[in-house]
Amino acid sequence: MLNVEQLTKKLPDGRALLNGISFRVARGEFVGVLGASGAGKSLTLRCILGLTQADGGTATLQANDGQTFELTTCKGRCQREARRRMGVIFQGFNLVKRLRVIDNVMIGRLAQIHPLRSWLYGFTDAEAAEALEALRRVKMEKYADRITGSLSGGEMQRVAIARAVFQKPSLYLADEPIASLDPSNSLAIMKLLQPLAKETPVLGVFHQPEMTARFCTRVIAIKHGKVVYDGDPVLSHAQLEDIYGDELMQVLRPTPALPPEPEASSSAFVGQVDEATPGLLAKQAT
Amino acid sequence: MNFPTTGSPRSAGPLLPLRLRKPLLVLIVLGGLVVVSARLCKVDLAEFVPGLAKGVEVLRFFFPPDWSSLQEMVGPALVTVLLAAVATPLGVLLSFFFGLAGARNLSPGWLRSTARTLIGVERALPEIIVLLLLVAALGVGPFPGVLALAIGSVGMLGKLFADAIEELDAKVLESVGSVGATHSQIIRFAVLPEVMPALLSHSIFRFEVNLRASVLLGAVGAGGIGFELQKAMALLEYERAMMAVLVTLLLVFGAERISDYLRRRVLDGGKLA
Repeated sequence: MLNVEQLTKKLPDGRALLNGISFRVARGEFVGVLGASGAGKSLTLRCILGLTQADGGTATLQANDGQTFELTTCKGRCQREARRRMGVIFQGFNLVKRLRVIDNVMIGRLAQIHPLRSWLYGFTDAEAAEALEALRRVKMEKYADRITGSLSGGEMQRVAIARAVFQKPSLYLADEPIASLDPSNSLAIMKLLQPLAKETPVLGVFHQPEMTARFCTRVIAIKHGKVVYDGDPVLSHAQLEDIYGDELMQVLRPTPALPPEPEASSSAFVGQVDEATPGLLAKQAT
Repeated sequence: MNFPTTGSPRSAGPLLPLRLRKPLLVLIVLGGLVVVSARLCKVDLAEFVPGLAKGVEVLRFFFPPDWSSLQEMVGPALVTVLLAAVATPLGVLLSFFFGLAGARNLSPGWLRSTARTLIGVERALPEIIVLLLLVAALGVGPFPGVLALAIGSVGMLGKLFADAIEELDAKVLESVGSVGATHSQIIRFAVLPEVMPALLSHSIFRFEVNLRASVLLGAVGAGGIGFELQKAMALLEYERAMMAVLVTLLLVFGAERISDYLRRRVLDGGKLA
């Protein structure tokens, strides 16, 4: 399905951020990517999506419809066609806050309708019904007509998943989907992703080894831009120590509550309470 | 340790407390400038005072306003409103394209700087100059007036729109792009909804500005209440001119109240709707 070979990315000064990343994701897999901060996890995902241009190597997507895409080299229309086949979930949800929830879900199909149509009348009732079905899957159907900006972090991430589901992708990419959420919401999101992976493979970057151990079918660990582990999701303490180095204590132990990702919302949403605060107490429970 | 103390500052005493020296200097310089400019412009107080009395006397010609002409003013007043009402949406549309082109997060550098430069040049041009250029090209009438106001809106609205677009969260645009959406679809589904409140509120304010400008442009040949006022003055029909002034006041004041109300609605409503 997805085959990444020798992916490299260098800084202008020649320092390698990705130093020959290779791995595969096959049908039925829920692959978790672990690694210390700056190891290159998210960057790998960005290179696969084409949001960042890789310097070398290949990433090949074998889509469900039989088409094959060379993700690191395709541009323009080819790139849009490839992106249409990958459902992405971001750490910061990144939804259009002023649109209704259902509109945000339908954005998932933008690449499948003509640009002219998206300006003239947008989506049909049949598509809206299908979008509602996708919302039902993440138990957000009651919020369909709400303005997205009024939702909490956990709710927005559910909507983001519904958008990806509605897109009917050949692969799900999740870039730290639970990093901005509290433990109960994190758990809920993982429980949503797990069944999705049975139909369509999921490649997700995570920070919590206990989550990947519990939900993923396989784990890849990246260190200094190289894959240092690829196999069973349950890792030993020694293996984690090798992957995380000095950061291990922060991953396993309570951390001083870091400020949440700054909400890049417009000033009109000042009153919004964000529940996406990585809590101190919460992490102690693990 | 003994240092020779020749003339302690305390005993002599400064001419002015130190903290007053700077303001005094500023005052002297400004005062000097006023005097010099007044000389250059031939401002003469000796002429001004009797002139003031004459002015008050002239003002009496304007009263009472010629109420009977009110009916004739309604038509031109409507023309003035229509001029602004047609020009504003046109200007908004034009400005939206300039805003898109002038936004860093949507346009390549060369396009952005070109658009920003054009917007800046337009802002530096008073509407009246745009109108005079258009009148020279298209002749006198409401059409060049509408065009002048529409083009005149780009200087302000184009910049405000471009700034509003640049403030958008780059991650949201990237996220909509990540589903494979085209540039135009990103504009339709992410940029437009997110900047809509700013777009509406700036546009409503611009209508108010355009209404005032259309009175002025009317006097230069675009028609409407401004033309009526200018005509009455030229014919020395001061009471009639006063009526035109009153109608203009009513128009502008009314537009301001309505635009204030609408903008509050748009911005408050932006919270949830």
